This record gives sequence, C-alpha cells and structure tokens, in this order.
Amino acid sequence: MAISFEQIEQHLKTEALKLLESGKVILVLAYGRGYDANHPMPYVAKHPSDVDNIVFNEYCTANLARYLTRYPRRTKIAIAVKAADSRAVVQLIQEDKVCREDLVVLGIPVYGMKNFKTGEVIDSKTTGGLYNPVLYDILLGEEVHGQPVSSPYDVLAAYEAMDKEERWAFWQRELGRCIRCYACRKACPMCYCDPCFIDQNKPKWGEKSPESPGNLMYHLTRFHHLAGRCIDCGECSRACPVDIPLYLFHKKVAKDCEEMFGQAAGMSIGDKPVLVNFRVDDSDKILE
Amino acid sequence: MSFEPKILGIACNWCTYTGADLAGTTRLQYPQNIRVVRVMCSSRINPSFIFRAFQLGADGVLIGGCHPGDCHYNTGNLYARRRLAVTKKILEFSGMEPGRFRVEWISASEGNRFAEVVREFTEQIRDLGPQTKFKISQ
Amino acid sequence: MLVLKKTTIDKLPELAACLMEKGTLVAPVKEAGGFNFRAITDAAQVDLIFHNTILSPKTVFFPQTEDFVRYSVYQPILEAKPVEPEIRPTFLFGVRPCDVKSFEIMDIHFTRTGVPDPYWRKRRDATIIFGFAFDTSEEADPAEFYHTLGIGAADPDGSDVFMLRRDDVLFLKAVSPRGENLLGGLAGLTDAAPDERKYFDDYIAQGHDYKTRYTCVDAEAIAKEFEAIFHNTDFWTKVSNACLSCGICTFVCPTCYCFDICDETQFGQGVRRRVWDACMFTDFTLEASGHNPRTQVYQRLRQKICHKYSFHIRKYGPISCVGCGRCTRYCPVNIDIFSIVEQAVQAKWYKRM
Repeated sequence: MAISFEQIEQHLKTEALKLLESGKVILVLAYGRGYDANHPMPYVAKHPSDVDNIVFNEYCTANLARYLTRYPRRTKIAIAVKAADSRAVVQLIQEDKVCREDLVVLGIPVYGMKNFKTGEVIDSKTTGGLYNPVLYDILLGEEVHGQPVSSPYDVLAAYEAMDKEERWAFWQRELGRCIRCYACRKACPMCYCDPCFIDQNKPKWGEKSPESPGNLMYHLTRFHHLAGRCIDCGECSRACPVDIPLYLFHKKVAKDCEEMFGQAAGMSIGDKPVLVNFRVDDSDKILE
Repeated sequence: MSFEPKILGIACNWCTYTGADLAGTTRLQYPQNIRVVRVMCSSRINPSFIFRAFQLGADGVLIGGCHPGDCHYNTGNLYARRRLAVTKKILEFSGMEPGRFRVEWISASEGNRFAEVVREFTEQIRDLGPQTKFKISQ
Repeated sequence: MLVLKKTTIDKLPELAACLMEKGTLVAPVKEAGGFNFRAITDAAQVDLIFHNTILSPKTVFFPQTEDFVRYSVYQPILEAKPVEPEIRPTFLFGVRPCDVKSFEIMDIHFTRTGVPDPYWRKRRDATIIFGFAFDTSEEADPAEFYHTLGIGAADPDGSDVFMLRRDDVLFLKAVSPRGENLLGGLAGLTDAAPDERKYFDDYIAQGHDYKTRYTCVDAEAIAKEFEAIFHNTDFWTKVSNACLSCGICTFVCPTCYCFDICDETQFGQGVRRRVWDACMFTDFTLEASGHNPRTQVYQRLRQKICHKYSFHIRKYGPISCVGCGRCTRYCPVNIDIFSIVEQAVQAKWYKRM
C-alpha cells in the first residue's frame, strides 16, 4: 500500500482548518514550504488563512515536538506527528512539560521519509518497524500494515561487534569532528533544559573549545541525560552539519535501558521515565 | 618501578564511608592508591563526576553505597543503581575498558569487605595499566 | 597586462606539491557531510571537485580556537606568556568569489574598527588567495544568492590569483602583484593562448550576469525597512517560528565574527583562548547579574538579521552577507534567511527568479 503524501497533506489541511476555525486550538504545528519543495520547514498556522501554506511530503522529517516546550502551559496546540514524533509527545507528557488536555495530536502513519540533505530513506535509522503514531487524537491516513518490521536496534550490530579499541577509535574520529554548534541539542525535543549543563560556568562541566576533552564531556553527558528519554527520531544526526552518527549512541543507550529496566521511552502516557523511577527488585546484575 | 594506579573512590556517608572508617580503626591493610571522597548518598553522584574523573587522570573509579533497601534516605541508592548502570554502559560503548568503573554496595559493618574490594580493585587496575583514553593529555 | 597561465586538472597534484614546498597549502578536502578547507598533507587530495565547503574559509584567518596566553596557576605569582601564532606563508586554494568578498567585509571588523586584530592581520598578510570561479554552465545552487548582492559568479575581485576551469584545463590569472610574482615562480604552468585569454575574459564578464535567485537589492531601502519593523513582534515571531536558535548559521557564515574568550585550565596549566560564539545561542547576552535581554528566539533571530542587513549598513556601509547560501543549506529546519529580508520589505521591489 503506497503512501500518498498528497492525501496526508489534504487531511492535515482539513483538520487544521477545522481546529483553527472552531477555536479549539490557537496554533497548529505543521510543515510549510521552504526555499524549494524538497526543503520543507516547520510551520505554525495561527489563522485559518495560514492553512493554505501547509505542506506534507517525504522530506518533512522535522520533529515538531521540540517546539512544544516553547509555549506556555495551557496554550492549546495541535501538532502533526509521525511515529517517532508521537513518542516525543508522550515522553513530554510523562515529564509533565506539556498537558495532554492542551494538545490535539494529529497522527501521521507513514513510511518512506527521506533525509532532505542526502535523499536517503531514513526508516531503518529511526524507530525501525514503528510506522504508526503511538498517540493521536485524529489519524490522518490509514494505519500502515505489512511493512517490514525490524528491531530499531538492528543497526547497532556492527558497532556492538567491534572490540573496545575499534569502538574508541570510531568515536574519537566521529566526535573529533564536532564543531560545538549545538544543533543536536536544539533539534532534540527532549533537550529543553535552561540552562543546559554545558553552558554553565560554576561548575564548568566541559570545555568550550571544539576539541576532544570538551567534545567527549558534552556528548557523553548528553547521551546520559537522554537515557530512557531518547525516542529515536534521528533529528540530532540529521541536524549535524558534519554528519556525526549520534543516533547510534543514543540507540545503544536506549537499547540498554530497555533491556535493564523493561521500558522504552515515550510509549505510554502512564509510564514514569526510567531514571526517575526504580524497582526495589532491580537486579544488581545491571552493574556488572 | 611498577605503575601505581590513581583510584577515585566515592563513598556514601552512612554506609561505605563508615565501613571504610571501620576498616581503618580495625587496622585492616588496604592499598593507599584510593582517594576517597565522601558524599551523603550514592544518588548524589552525577555521572559527569565519573567522566570528569577519567578525564583528569583517574585510572579507576570505585563507587560505594548502602545496600539497596538500606539507604539512609530510603530510596537514594535505588535511583543510583539505575543511573550508575547507565553510566557503565555508556563508558563501555565509548570504548573504555569495562574494569575501570565499579559500583559496590558496602555497609557500615563491612570493614573487611571494604578492604577486600579496594585490594581487588587496585590489583585489577594495576593489571589494566594507566588509563590513557579519556585522560586529557598535557 | 597581467599574465594568464594554465595547467591541466590531472597535473593539479604537481601544482599542489609545488605550493606545499613554499608554505602551507589550504584547500577543500572531502570529509563526512561535505567539504572543508584543511591544510593539505597529501598533494593528491587537491582536485577542486567540489561546489562549496561547509565551514567558510574564514577559518584560515579566524580559526575556531585561537590561543592567546598560556598560564600556570599554582605559584605565588601567576606566570603567563602570550602565545605567538605560528604563521607560515599560506596558499588558500579554491575560494569561491562570494567567500573572497567576505574577507573584505571581515577586514572592516578585524582591522579598521577599534584595536586592529594582530592575529587576523598576520594571517591575512601571509596568505595568497586563489579564487575559483563557479561553473556557470550549471544552474545556480538553490540556496545561493550572491548575484543579488552584486558578486559575480566569476568575480576575480579580491583574489591574488583567479582560477577558472574549462573541461580539463585550469586557467590561473594573476590579479594582484603578489599573485603575479607567485605565478611567475611556479614551474609546470604554461602560458595561455590569445583565444584562451579571450575565453577567460568573456567568462568573467558573463559571470556578472549569471543569475542566482532573487534580483539585485537596494541596501539602503532594506536598512530603512528593518528599522521601521523592529518593534513588530508579530512579524519577528512569525519568521522565527521554525528557528531552533542552534548556531549553525553563525558558524558556517563567512561574515559572522562573534567570539568568546575563555580560560581553560587543567592541572594548574591553562590557556586563555578565543572561541567562536553565536548571537543565536540562548546565553549570548546573559549578563553577570543573571538578566538576559534576549531570552526569546525571535529576539535573537531579529538581532542576527538586523545586524547583517540593517545595522551593518548604517555603521559600515556594506550588507554583512555575501549570498553564499551556507546558512540556508545547513539550517536543520531549512530556514531561508534572505526570504525573511524579502518578507520584511514585503516583496514590493523584489522578484523571485
């Protein structure tokens, strides 16, 4: 069953118009046209007339959940989400950064999304096998069934097979390219801390220069801060101007958290994030 | 001259630190490579401390806390257990030798055990050699 | 009449090796994500097959980290020594015309306002620039708009030597006396024939008409419009809705120059250094008191755009932009900075190409 991006765009526009006209929401987080058709931008529709500018195509990879924390509580927002993005919304609700009642979630069941920088299909790099949003009020298309279901962690096999020296060399090479532009942090829906740890001076957690010690401190700490919270959208890696595959490390931490604590991020509103929770019978084996 | 490891120990006040005190008062011998820092609870430990310790030249980091269930603050070490498990996984995936970071639950009465763990850990680090990966080069 | 020389593309490594003997050769190198200017260690790496680099060549004159003072703390009296930058003669090879123009704009800030920056000056003086024309047989890259700002696709202005590729042949024209001196001393180059000289001159001329998107602008008019809409919060909120406020646009921009000075100390030894900063960062205007006048994204984006297209014109004359398109190309959410300028002046005068 092929995905019709035009149909999804149509449904999105229809629902957005209804919601804005009825006053049920004061803004709709969706996508709009960028400098050409293959480079869409996140778009905020506030008036019914804005709805005409909404688009949806295979390059609409931006995770709109990152904009939710910009708006004050009690702002009524409609948000267009794909599978991974819906997990981000669930995770933000779990962390009490946004109220379920303030949101109208427009779920987009889709596969075949492409990286607008390279044209590459990104399904296997993100939530692998999860094509339908886990949370939605209105579904903007038919649920996707019959697409290959794989584990989101399959792509890690090659890296887990490396011995520690190879892995160290790999990460030194990758993280050594980092220019500390902080796009990864800003692209991530879960990075909403103000101030971010790396911007603090007392104490200074990491050096500012884009060199190995500061880069390592920044990235490893960020991987830790996202443990059990990363919802595998891959935005950090796509935002990176020097192509660092951050999603690999985040995925590995997510995999370990799922194995150790039996819970994946952003799946169910009633969950508590794994690191603010505990079980008295957590096994000591996890420390071995 | 054989290599003398620099080991950072972070011990929770109520259990491990007291246990270390007990080891001292009962004159138990253990290698002096460990430099102990006292925190009130193992859950005070920010994983960045551990990354930073390795960057500043620690060859090994040993964390000691109360046994799960016995935390002086009831639940602190239950959070710490999860958090430090994640820290361990991150260190491993980044390519750091797994034996350099260890978490042990040592109670106030386990002076013996404290000495034993420190002895064992020091030997382990001595075998692993100086830590060069994270250490900021001068 | 300044000379026009030529060589062939497959003999580029020889030319590169020749330059490497005379000093440091910096040229675009392919890396993950794209190309970047790097000091060349293997002459075979130089092939000039690239469109443009991720980071602009300002990195050669204004590196991302620049050490100023080395110090040692655990003493009765703090010991500190200024760091002398090691600067060898440098050849900056393969700079597109828009990037060459950016150096002129940056010269204003680093040498003609306030205290002249000795680091910039020394590096600039030690560098010979080999400009490189865009290929006008291809359609313009959708992100670029240098023509709008009066820069030709084959504009030799500002280069010491200007290069143009025609199939397998690479032409090199001396533009400045330094360039002429250098070309005279390079083995392996032959003189171009008269018809080739004509081809070269014609190419430069038609390069001035090569259209990128947008039409030519009136800087004064833009500056005035931005002053008029500064307090229009609705407008600025609308255009900054998608902005992540990350900092990529600043880092890749050839005409952005903000920096931070920080002290990095370990084990009692440290260095005071300059590192790139970005007005887009949340804490850029964070004051010691804790007050931050620009906490909202729209305030920071407004600052960035007004600085480049309004305040800069008032203070220094030119628009602080060369239309290289990097900000648009590398923006994680595809924000098109010049379309914001267009929206601000309500597209009354300007037409999209």
